[in-house]
Amino acid sequence: MDFYFGLIQLIGVHTLLGLSAYIVLLTGQVTLAQAAFYAIGAYVSGMLTVLAGWHIVPALGVGALAGAVAACAVGFPALRVKGLMLVIATLAFGEGVRIFFFNFDYQIAKGDIKVGPLGGEGFRQIRFFPENGWTTLEVMLFIWAFVIAVMALLWWFDRSRYGAVLRAVGEDEVAAQSVGVNLTAVKVSAMTVGGAIAGIAGSLYAHYTTHIEHSNFNVLVATFAIAYPIVGGLQSVFGTLAAVIFVQGFLIEGLRGLGDWRNLLFGALIVLAMNLRPQGIFWRRGA
Amino acid sequence: MLELKGVTRHFGGVRAVDGLDLVVPEGSIFGLIGPNGSGKSTTVNVVTGLFPLTAGTIRFRGETLDDLPTHRRLQKGIARTFQNIRLFGRLTVWQNLWVAQNSPEDRARRGFIARWLGGSRSARDEIAQLLEFSGLAHKADEPAASLSFGEQRRLELARALAARPKLLLLDEPAAGMNSEEIAQLRERILALRERGITILLIEHVMELVMGVTDRIAVLNFGQKIAEGAPAEIQADPAVRKAYLGGDSA
Amino acid sequence: MLDFVQAVSDGVLFGATYALIGIGFTLVFGVMHKINMAYAAASIGAAYAGLLLLQVMAGAPPWAVFACAFLAGGLLGWLVYLACFHFIPLSHPLATLMSTVGMLLLIDEVVVHATDGMPQSYPAMFDDVMLHAGEFTLRGDLLLVFGVCVVAMACLLALLYRTRLGLATRAVSQQPVAAQLCGIQVARVNAMTFVVTGLLGGLAGAMIGASVGTLSPLLSGPLTVKGLIVTVIGGLGSIPGAIVAGLLVGGFENVFQLYRGVTERDLYVMLLLFVFLVFRPGGIFAARAGRD
Repeated sequence: MDFYFGLIQLIGVHTLLGLSAYIVLLTGQVTLAQAAFYAIGAYVSGMLTVLAGWHIVPALGVGALAGAVAACAVGFPALRVKGLMLVIATLAFGEGVRIFFFNFDYQIAKGDIKVGPLGGEGFRQIRFFPENGWTTLEVMLFIWAFVIAVMALLWWFDRSRYGAVLRAVGEDEVAAQSVGVNLTAVKVSAMTVGGAIAGIAGSLYAHYTTHIEHSNFNVLVATFAIAYPIVGGLQSVFGTLAAVIFVQGFLIEGLRGLGDWRNLLFGALIVLAMNLRPQGIFWRRGA
Repeated sequence: MLELKGVTRHFGGVRAVDGLDLVVPEGSIFGLIGPNGSGKSTTVNVVTGLFPLTAGTIRFRGETLDDLPTHRRLQKGIARTFQNIRLFGRLTVWQNLWVAQNSPEDRARRGFIARWLGGSRSARDEIAQLLEFSGLAHKADEPAASLSFGEQRRLELARALAARPKLLLLDEPAAGMNSEEIAQLRERILALRERGITILLIEHVMELVMGVTDRIAVLNFGQKIAEGAPAEIQADPAVRKAYLGGDSA
Repeated sequence: MLDFVQAVSDGVLFGATYALIGIGFTLVFGVMHKINMAYAAASIGAAYAGLLLLQVMAGAPPWAVFACAFLAGGLLGWLVYLACFHFIPLSHPLATLMSTVGMLLLIDEVVVHATDGMPQSYPAMFDDVMLHAGEFTLRGDLLLVFGVCVVAMACLLALLYRTRLGLATRAVSQQPVAAQLCGIQVARVNAMTFVVTGLLGGLAGAMIGASVGTLSPLLSGPLTVKGLIVTVIGGLGSIPGAIVAGLLVGGFENVFQLYRGVTERDLYVMLLLFVFLVFRPGGIFAARAGRD
């Protein structure tokens, strides 16, 4: 049973990661930086619970804030860079953050052992949940409380004027400007919200896996982040959820028997999916 | 209402607009015509702020526009339609109008936080009214891309109106229309003037221009070659020459 | 000072490989306005394929391995084109982008499976040759790498500016619709672009293997990032830009490594990119400003 809880935890965190990219993609900005904000959230919240003894909830809040601030800082220069160049710039930023954490040491002594991030070895002993007696089920529910809250928020945005404005900007910036939409405010705010969501995802990730390191935040993860909303379709938040279930459920469960070959098939699957259904899983005809 | 002085816009070596002086009086319907490439669309883009000026000034209601960004000019009251329709195809008709409600009155009504989230009731009524005026009420929830060409043109106009403009720049609204449609367009433009909107009409289709404008300026190679009442322009030999025997009214 | 100049010279020579990779990215972008994220991985993959020759002919000379990699690159390029660009409508740019990422993953995994994840040593030529110019050393193998890359670039430019295919390619990159109306088979041009860049990439991969001495699938990630950085710094769509930027990045990277070590080196290369993005987002040779 614990195994399935673990899988559902993973799906939850990846859904948040995908949703962090979803809102940014709506504005037409293709971002490979979400893994960076995810990493920042993970390390910041981890350090707060482990090194400063904070409770998970405020640590999560600060993790989200850190993600948001970083995203906002990226959001402004991102305005100067269009289209595919933005993909490259965010890719480079993400790699830069990863390399930063690869070199980052900050340890303090706790009893006989030293805890904290240690460069290439990563950040071990993020044991808030086990130390406080949380069961796997409880952690899973905790994670999903956030997933549902974020999905509800974004679903609400989609039905509100803000959602329409986001999509208008994504569709035609010149027309949007010409009807009075402030492009800067819209694009940076979307990036910031995305960063906050990624920060939450990262914080949850760090605590349920208890051990994070730089390679957990690499280009592959950044790609997963945008793959989910793209494959699921940008029409609805449920598309992202469906894509995560499809990918993670299929990868882990369905291809179990194939062992090592899973990763091979993943790449092939994406290629196939994009050829067969370039508009995404949840695309409505005529929409 | 709108004053252009020595307005110049270069693209590398090309002088799209060269030293243009123009005054559009408040409440008038002012026409801007000229052969293709004469600088009409560039003039619109420069007035709305999509392109910065190479030289000259533009004043709107006495205020210099300078580097004011496009969305702020809209908030001051300058709206436009596009020659090739630029609707938000994936959004519904309703959403297209909703997104465009950015005039100071609408923003104030929405309030600081409420602004991003919903619409107040009277904003909804405004949209409903615009849809009525444009004959699109029955298509409110359809994606804009699914509309017919004529309907899209009407939506394009309605969207510009949603911003409560004081000056409306119409960029070739009659392109591809037959006589009946042109007559309807003429009626709508006159109705807009009744509402107190000043109109700058960029157009090729003489049937519309001659029939609805108070005053016309003619551009060629980025410069103004004539200005006057429709009848004067029709008789002007320089204009005839520029057009090389173009459309007759 | 000596070290600095040595680092620069070694770096610039190696940078010729980055220039080739940058050219590959930038050419595909120029012709199709798309980024082929799988390009660097395909280049490394082609280098591995070159090693297959050694399986068949145990004592094959290095230049034969390089040639094999060259050809494999062209084949892989064509395969990437088929899988990612031939069937997917170009109006879905996100879909093509994702599919190239899928190919990147696929190629990397195939390599890992084929080699059981073990790094493979790569043949080199002239690695025992050291030319001395005063106090500086010019490594023979790096000179070869540089030379081969320069010849490849020259051939590419000849192809683009002296052949009909090159003319068609340039036409398609400027006005795809008009090109089609003139009778140019755009799909064929696109496919050929992938084959040509694939050939270049295979060569670059082989040269990287030759100068580093070993190949590992871990190379493709950083190479993708560096190749894209080179493309951006040089200006998307500009071949001379990619050449200059490739040499620049190669030189800088080596200097960063001299002063800050290998682990931090890549961080500084990123910073170099950001400096360019802030001050010259169009790149060294920005495309001419258009009318509208």
